[in-house]
Amino acid sequence: MKTGGFSQIKNLCRKGHGHFLSAFTERTAPKADGQEISLDQAIDRAGEILRKAERPLLYGWSNSSLEAQRVGIELAKKLEATIDDTSSFCQGRIMERILTGRLPTCTLDDVRNFADTSIFWGSDPSNSHPRLLSRFAYYPRGEKRQKSYEEERTCIVVDVRKSATTKLCSNYFKVLPGGDADLIASVIAVLEGKIPKFGDKKLMIELGAILRKTEFGVLFPGLGILSSLTDKMDLLESLIAKLNELSAFKVIPTVEHFNTRGFNKLLLEDAGCINRAFFQGGKAIHGPQMSVSIASKKCDAALVIGSDPLSSLPFGTARSLAKVPVIAIDPHRSLTTDAAKVVIPSAIHGLEAGGSAVRMDGVKIDFDPILTASTLSDVQILGMIKEAI
Amino acid sequence: MESTVTIATFRDIFQNEAEKKSRYSEEYRGLSAQIILDKQDMANLGVKDGQNVLVKNEVGRIVVTAKTSEDDPHPGLAFMVKSPWSNHLIEDDICEMSSPEFKKTSVQVSPSGEDITQISELYLRMKA
Amino acid sequence: MVGAMEIYKLLPADACKECGYTSCMALAVALRNRGKRLDEFPALLNPKYADRFKKLKELLAPLEKASETGMIIHPEKCFGCGNCVVACPVNVAAEPTRCGIGLGPQGEKVILAVEDGVVKCMNVKECKRFGPNKVLCNACIVTCPSKAIEFV
Repeated sequence: MKTGGFSQIKNLCRKGHGHFLSAFTERTAPKADGQEISLDQAIDRAGEILRKAERPLLYGWSNSSLEAQRVGIELAKKLEATIDDTSSFCQGRIMERILTGRLPTCTLDDVRNFADTSIFWGSDPSNSHPRLLSRFAYYPRGEKRQKSYEEERTCIVVDVRKSATTKLCSNYFKVLPGGDADLIASVIAVLEGKIPKFGDKKLMIELGAILRKTEFGVLFPGLGILSSLTDKMDLLESLIAKLNELSAFKVIPTVEHFNTRGFNKLLLEDAGCINRAFFQGGKAIHGPQMSVSIASKKCDAALVIGSDPLSSLPFGTARSLAKVPVIAIDPHRSLTTDAAKVVIPSAIHGLEAGGSAVRMDGVKIDFDPILTASTLSDVQILGMIKEAI
Repeated sequence: MESTVTIATFRDIFQNEAEKKSRYSEEYRGLSAQIILDKQDMANLGVKDGQNVLVKNEVGRIVVTAKTSEDDPHPGLAFMVKSPWSNHLIEDDICEMSSPEFKKTSVQVSPSGEDITQISELYLRMKA
Repeated sequence: MVGAMEIYKLLPADACKECGYTSCMALAVALRNRGKRLDEFPALLNPKYADRFKKLKELLAPLEKASETGMIIHPEKCFGCGNCVVACPVNVAAEPTRCGIGLGPQGEKVILAVEDGVVKCMNVKECKRFGPNKVLCNACIVTCPSKAIEFV
């Protein structure tokens, strides 16, 4: 039963296949205060902790369905809690600009049909989104790109290292860590017909030439550029604006989890902000203090759903979270579930639980389970917790 | 012998696959607890490919395996796959606009005879 | 991919001509091109060459694995990205509404497909590098991020 009764698993990349197989290993069981207990008892204990907390934090969300995320936001309002998702430190920064229309965007299907230039800036999709190039960005044929990568598509990679993706694209532009702002300034200069101040002039002019020839370009910004630009995101806006003077140029956030965009869309619609909010008296207050980095130090209890911040966040944040009572809702054992006061096992979306999500490009996807779940889904668990408090 | 380098993190599909199997495995530790150093930097440090090194800064200290970079020379710059090991070295202070420096962490590297840090050790330090 | 020189260095280099070739280098080339197999040469089974024979067998093992067309897949390197599946002209011709537009194949007429997380080859005789009208198609090689596919 190692593969749930399936003898062959087709078309999943190595990452997807690993995700599929993870349904059969290291699954969590309901636990509280170090003891294995029944699910109902775990839910009650969770409700008790959240009810008594004065400054609860609700973190995670990107691995939950839209339906579950909605309940999560309601829960945050009911508890007057701080809510934050996993994209705070990465795609969240660009997500707001895209969702509010400050940066033009398009769907991945548009990319496949129309894009002749894809730029991976600080991003290595071969390792993080293995099917991005084969399904959309470089190799497939599309309505206006029947000759595809051989004649009609160009790929550009800007990175600090020769990643696997650089081996596929003949246009690799090396950037030094933190040097993205200068590089952007140089590209803008070249597009304006001026001499670039930074970088190899010949290479910059080459890059400018490719961009000028572009009919429909797409930028996929990765953590590399987003962490580098921090407070200089306006520069990126300027670059995209300049490119749009020449032709259509869009931006798609390469989010890490399947429903990061979904959560941000819901929060934006509900609370007028993305990523994080503090609900008080039904109103949402937002600001950097609500990010998990700061909130983890101020909260007195945390609900972590579909995420393992003890593994994936900086040491200081991990340590702060390890000190407060944590309710971990997760299908798998992780450092966070090990440290949690209450562990509630959940079903894996797409495999065991159905629902809907918003893909990185804004397209809504509905999915059905293919395996029978022996655990509840996020939306069911959250509903029970909401009742318990 | 000790040198200071900046670390930039990246993603690796094989390490990610191992993570999905188990965060507690030797395989995951082996693929995560590595630092990819510039060839000349390694020579200056007197460290050979596959040797263990101590990587530390004000935030934490870890022992990982040094690997020789196959990239064009990048002195002063090192790469680590995003993992609980690399996160152990990241500054947590955030100011109004910036984010934890996942991509530009400064560390001191030196040869080490110690064993590679276990994930259980990283966990204990979080709980301490 | 193993070269004739590497093979030559493991051969006795005494040009005994028992194999029918005029020099050990000629034999090395024949072994490299898979015109001949190691076990066709009793002279090499002589115990004094035992160590060399063992190393030769190891060196030539990848060549044995390769299909008739010379395609070798290293599944341990494969990302399962599907670039080769979508780029392969035979795949695209067989399934224009699937592989042609970036999707995985549904039928059995393709050469490359991703199964259990890595790529597998089948119907390799349909590969354009094979047969009387062969061309040096390299779609699956240049589109691979990890050199998981190569041709002998």
